Amino acid sequence: MDITQIQLDALREIGNIGSGHAATALSTLLQRRIDMSVPEVWAVPFVQVSDIIGQLDTPQAVVYVKAEGEAPGKAVFFFPLTSAEIVCQALFGTNGPFDLFNDEMAQSALKEVGNILVSSFLIALTQFSGIPFQPSVPALAVDMAGAILDAILIEEGTLDDNVLFIDTQMSGIPQIEGQFIFLPNEGSLNKLLGALGV
Amino acid sequence: MSVVITVGMADYKTAKMPDILMTAGLGSCIGICVHDPMLKVGGMAHIMLPTANGNKGSNPAKYADTAIELLLSGIMQLGASKMRLRAKMAGGAQMFSFPGKPQVLKIGDRNAEAVEQELKRYGIPLVVADVGGSFGRTIHYDVGTGELKIRTINHGEKVI
Repeated sequence: MDITQIQLDALREIGNIGSGHAATALSTLLQRRIDMSVPEVWAVPFVQVSDIIGQLDTPQAVVYVKAEGEAPGKAVFFFPLTSAEIVCQALFGTNGPFDLFNDEMAQSALKEVGNILVSSFLIALTQFSGIPFQPSVPALAVDMAGAILDAILIEEGTLDDNVLFIDTQMSGIPQIEGQFIFLPNEGSLNKLLGALGV
Repeated sequence: MSVVITVGMADYKTAKMPDILMTAGLGSCIGICVHDPMLKVGGMAHIMLPTANGNKGSNPAKYADTAIELLLSGIMQLGASKMRLRAKMAGGAQMFSFPGKPQVLKIGDRNAEAVEQELKRYGIPLVVADVGGSFGRTIHYDVGTGELKIRTINHGEKVI
């Protein structure tokens, strides 16, 4: 589908409000300052997906939450491994290393972080659009970013030619980086834009 | 000098010896590799879904059925003989499991099945496959030797 400039602006505003809430939640949780970028809205073919999430085979810790309801979508948090480790250290109050591939406590903590962030994002989205969303149980994968993203994109077995993302970079002090993306499912975009009157 | 040619998501490329075809970060997607061992030419497709269901959209390389057709005609244009073609594949993982959700229609498995069926339809032997599991794969395919190198983050490296 074609997206007009005003619709792009509306999506960016959704990203701004939602990600702002999510960043505030992360800041409260970790008790440190979190900065966020101005959200970008991307509608790109798959071959360009790597431009958005970086190297496709770099390992990252990825939390995936489905937003269910009238206008379903997918919320995904990408944490580089070093950042995921710092998040765990902050939550557990230790300086020790975490084996993110196997440590179930660390994995559970990251899922909870994802859960809190996504819930904040969705609450903001509901307040803004009037459409209720219910977050699913969070899932976590620690592996190649591209492999995780492709599994998320094709989970239902269908796919548009282009993929639309609302994309926000977050960074905290010290050395926490993360990327939050929200992908409206096919058909949800119109409902969301309709609710906003654009 | 061999060149490494990158194949993106929903993309396909062909090459001649000594070039290497590479695709990074396969999850539920599948990398299909086909070569002619005598002429030493081949190709790779990075498919995302099993079947186009008559709806090719703007990118037939996205689906197993339509991508294999494209890939084969590309390799044939390099002079390969269909009789000699050999195939390998990797990918088709299940990266996430949601508690309480039935796993009846795992997309990775469906992709692998679709590729197998489609190769059978063209009469091209699938020599070996490395599919399934719950981890991503980056693959390098040597179109001359037909060697497929598979790299993972936490499940080692191998050549099939």
